Parts: sequence; structure tokens; C-alpha cells
Amino acid sequence: MSRKQLDAILLVLAALVSFGLPLVVQSPTYLQILILLFFYAYLTTAWNLVGGFAGVLPMGHAVFVGIGAYTSTVLTLQYGISPWIGMLVGGVIAALVGVLIGKPTFRMRGAYFALCTIAFAEGFRVMIENIDMLGPIKLNGPRGLLIPLKGDSFWNYQFMHKEPYYYIILVMLVLVLALTWFISRSRMGYYLAAGGEEPEAAEALGINVARYKLMAMALSSFLTALAGTFYAQLMLYFYPKGLLGLDLSFEIAFIALIGGRGTIAGPLIGALALRPLNEFTRIYLSDQLPGLHLVIFGTILILVMLYQPKGLTPTLARLYDRLAAKITKPEAAGQGGAR
Amino acid sequence: MTAVIQAVLNGAMMGAMYGLTALGLTLIFGVMKVVNFAHGSLLMVGMFSAYWLIKLTGMHPYLALLVVPPLLYFFGYFMQDLLIKPVFRAERQVREPLTVIIVTTGVWYVLDNLALMLFGAEYRTVRTAITGTSFTLGDIIVSIPKFSGFVISILTAVGLALFMKKTRTGKALQATSLDREAANLMGIDQYRIYNHAFGIGTAIAGIAGCVIIPFYYVYPSVGVVFDIRAFIIVVLGGLGSIQGAMIGGVIVGLIESVFSQFMPSTWTEAIIYAIFLVILFVKPSGLFGHKQDW
Repeated sequence: MSRKQLDAILLVLAALVSFGLPLVVQSPTYLQILILLFFYAYLTTAWNLVGGFAGVLPMGHAVFVGIGAYTSTVLTLQYGISPWIGMLVGGVIAALVGVLIGKPTFRMRGAYFALCTIAFAEGFRVMIENIDMLGPIKLNGPRGLLIPLKGDSFWNYQFMHKEPYYYIILVMLVLVLALTWFISRSRMGYYLAAGGEEPEAAEALGINVARYKLMAMALSSFLTALAGTFYAQLMLYFYPKGLLGLDLSFEIAFIALIGGRGTIAGPLIGALALRPLNEFTRIYLSDQLPGLHLVIFGTILILVMLYQPKGLTPTLARLYDRLAAKITKPEAAGQGGAR
Repeated sequence: MTAVIQAVLNGAMMGAMYGLTALGLTLIFGVMKVVNFAHGSLLMVGMFSAYWLIKLTGMHPYLALLVVPPLLYFFGYFMQDLLIKPVFRAERQVREPLTVIIVTTGVWYVLDNLALMLFGAEYRTVRTAITGTSFTLGDIIVSIPKFSGFVISILTAVGLALFMKKTRTGKALQATSLDREAANLMGIDQYRIYNHAFGIGTAIAGIAGCVIIPFYYVYPSVGVVFDIRAFIIVVLGGLGSIQGAMIGGVIVGLIESVFSQFMPSTWTEAIIYAIFLVILFVKPSGLFGHKQDW
């Protein structure tokens, strides 16, 4: 067996497991946990296009989730337009906002950029919380929006069971992972990496770093907004504090950093590591000792950053390489490498 | 007219205390190029320390100033030594190690929620000898705890500026903030200086905790309120600048207090963010910052 074959077998296995899981997992609670796991992995992969490849630290991506959720929901509630169409409209609006934020901020250094995105996100939240009606558009201020239940309907993006949501977000995740894989091996990926590490040197080589960063930002915000619509249709209710607060923005960045920013598998590994921990500690611990689950979460963040500052993925990739070398023929050892 | 003067005065006094909160943040950023996301939590630790000290011993609130800041100095000193230094070492070649932000955010989560576990979520106030006292200037009422907080904030800022100019440690801090490598070559131990910077920054959060406690609630997530304001203030004033932090603080306090005369207070928050963004776009280095810092 060669290394390529091993990789392929494992990939097929992973696909079978993830597509077959709903057949085994019947409990809606556990299915919901899996859906949210993929949801966060999707969001982080989209974030990674800017936060990973372009080498800056955006801490306000909840803005785009919010734009996606609000756009499709307002279009559905007030104009009867299917969320599937609203999703794309939200994506385009988010991409425009992303460019609007990115244009002036990409000149800034790390900490300034991070603070600026936080301020933008918080400012956006405060605005939405204060606006009941924006012209003819009903935003409902701090109370948020409720999507009335209409029963199983693909057109309305509403399902009575969790399985359709599971498959929708899984397909979205696979697509966005494929897209990042493709980008990382394209000219854009190399330019982004060059611009992230040595902006001055890249500029000197004639690469328009700013333009590629803006393209990455537009794509990232577009993809993030799609997930916003998904979230709205999954929960059928959202409000500014829950959807636009710093918690969501921060968690996206944490998952990326724990998994490994700038790697393709990083967001998935980060979500696999953090999400179940988050959910289970909250379910089992927060009743007895409120706050304990966040103490554990914070401690793990600190420990991973202390011992694995580049995230878990590089270490896991090395482990996998060593394992693969043992399984495959000796002459195939050492090939493959970083995934 | 009286109402406006009153609002300006209240805003300036509260703003100076925001500035005091931002002072520690700006010092740490100036020296280490690290945004300490745990700063608000350290302020919370300072407030709870002052709260229990005053509540249990019944001492005058300003006597707590002799105990709480030194306590927090060591807290910050060891926090940098044990948690932040290793990350710094691992990313030595990076100018601004962003993973440090995650470590400090982790500390924020741990501290806030430890406080929640220990003390519960309720809002606590402590009645001190000066709570609710005031004096009048014509028609204007000046709250004594806020006025003393204002004075102590200004004194702390002046003290810090003098410390940076006159003492050896202060000069070493400045040298490190200007050029890490060069300072290292001059025999300044970079990581020891970081310990001091973090310790002093945290001690200032302790001072802020002591002056805020006589007139403000304390609860586990109180730091977040001050944290976001402190971020805005340091960027407004220029990250790393002492007078920038104080003036930025007063500006934010004035906006809050004066605008809330005319509109709901939630809108003043939006205005603060808007002004913050405008300043970032027009002059990213802030009012008193250096261009090289952004």
C-alpha cells in the first residue's frame, strides 16, 4: 500500500462516517451538537481565508453571520422571498461590507487590526440593538427576529427533523474545505501567504498584496454570511446579543488558533477539539457550578497556546506521517508531509 | 446651562477613571506590543480585592490603595512570567505575537468565571465612609468619591510619566518599547522588563479598582464594561502613550456624559464606536501615538 492509497482510504472512510452518522445518532440533542460542530468548522474555514492565509487576526466575523441571518430573514418575513435566495443576497451584502472594512484596515498592524474589527463588530451590534425600523425594514431592535414555523419545506428552508440541516451544513463544509484547498494551491494562496508573512517584500516583487487581501476578505465574508442564513433557519430565532456578540467572533478565532491557522484541516480539528468540550461541559457542569465550564475552556486555551503555539494540526500531521510511514512501505516514508 | 456644566464635570471625572483603566493597558502595549485582553478582568480582581478588604476590615477605601496595587503588581508579574513569556519565547522572531492575545483572553475567561464561581453573579456595593458624599460649587454638585478618583487618576498618570523619565527601570522600559533588540544588546533583560511592565500595568488596574469601588457595583464580568472602553481609549490616544490614555479617557467620558443628556444612553455607546472608527481611519496612530506602532 502506498501513502497515496492510505490517504485515499482514510478520506473515503471519513466521508462514509460523516455521511452515515445520522443513521446511528438518533438523538436530536446529539445531532444538534454535531450540526453546530460542522457549523463552527465551516465558519472557521471561511475565517481562515483572511485570518489564516492573509495573516491578520479578524475578531469580528459575527458581523457577517449577522448580515446573512438578518438579510435572508427580513426578505422572507417581509417579502416572502425564499431563504435560499436571501442567502445569496446576504452573501453579496456581506462581501461588500467586508471590502468596506478591509480597505482601510488592511494597512494596519496586527493588534490595531484586531481591535478595529472588534470595534466594528460591537458598533454594528449596538446599532442593530437600537434600530426597530430601518426605513421600511423591520429589525426589531434588541428583541431579534422570529421565523414562524411553516412545516417541512425545502423552498422555505425549514425541516421538522435535524437530518436535513445536518446534510446541508456537511455539504457546505465539504465545499468550503475544497475551496480553501484549491485556493491554497493557487496563485492567490501563494500571494496571500507571501503578503501575510512579508508584506514589504511581496510588494517589492510586484504583488498587489492589498488587492489579494481584499479578495480574500470578500470571499470570506460572503461564505460567512451563508452560514448566517443557515443558523437563522436552524434556530428560527435570533437576537443581536446572541448572534452579534463578541462570543461568536472570538470562538471562531479560537477554533482556528487551537486547530492551526492557515492550515486546511485546522478549523475542522479545532472544532472537533473545542465544540464537544464546550457543549458537554456546559450541559453537565453549568448547573452545579456556573462558570466552571468557561474556566475549563480558558485553561485549555492557555495550555494549548503554551505547548502548541502553532495549533494542534502540525503536531497531528507529524504523528500521522510517522504512523503512515509504519503502515506503508518503507520507501514511501517521509513523503506526503504537511496536509 | 447648569445641567451641561454638571454633565461636563461628571464626564471629565468618570473619563479620568476610564483613562486610569486604559493607562495599564497602554503601558503594557507600549513595552510589549501586546494587547492584554485580560486587563478588564485584572481590574475586576482589583475591585473584588478592595471590596473584601473594605467589607471585612472596615478600613477607609483609600487605605486599600496601600494593599491592593502591590498585590496586583505581583499578580501581573507572575502572570507574565508564567504564561506570557513562554509564548513570547516560542515566537521570538515575530514582532507582534498574536497568539499572546489568545492567552490573555484565556486568562480573562478563567478569572471572570472563577469570580463567578466564588462570589456569584449578583451586583455588590460596599458602603464606605465617603459613599454618597458630595460638595457643592454654586449650583454644581461634585461627588466626593468621583472627585477623589479623578485626583488619584491624574496623580497616577503623572507618577507613571515621572517614573518612566527619571528611574532606571523606567528608562529601561522605554528603551525596550522603542527597540527590543537594541535594548537587549545594551544589557537589558527583555523578559524581566516585561515582568515589570506587566506588574506595573496590573498594579494600575488595582489602583483603578480601589477608586471605582466606592461608587460602582462590582460583579464578575464588570471588567468587560471597562475593557471595551479601555481599548477604544488607547487607540484614540495612541497605543503606548500615557497622556494619550488620560486625554482619550476624558474624551470618551465627556462624550458619554454630554450626549446622554440628549439621547438614550445606548446611542452614546454607538457614537463612541463611530468616533473610534473615524479616528482609526483618519489617523490610525491615534492622537499621541507613533506611526511605527501601527
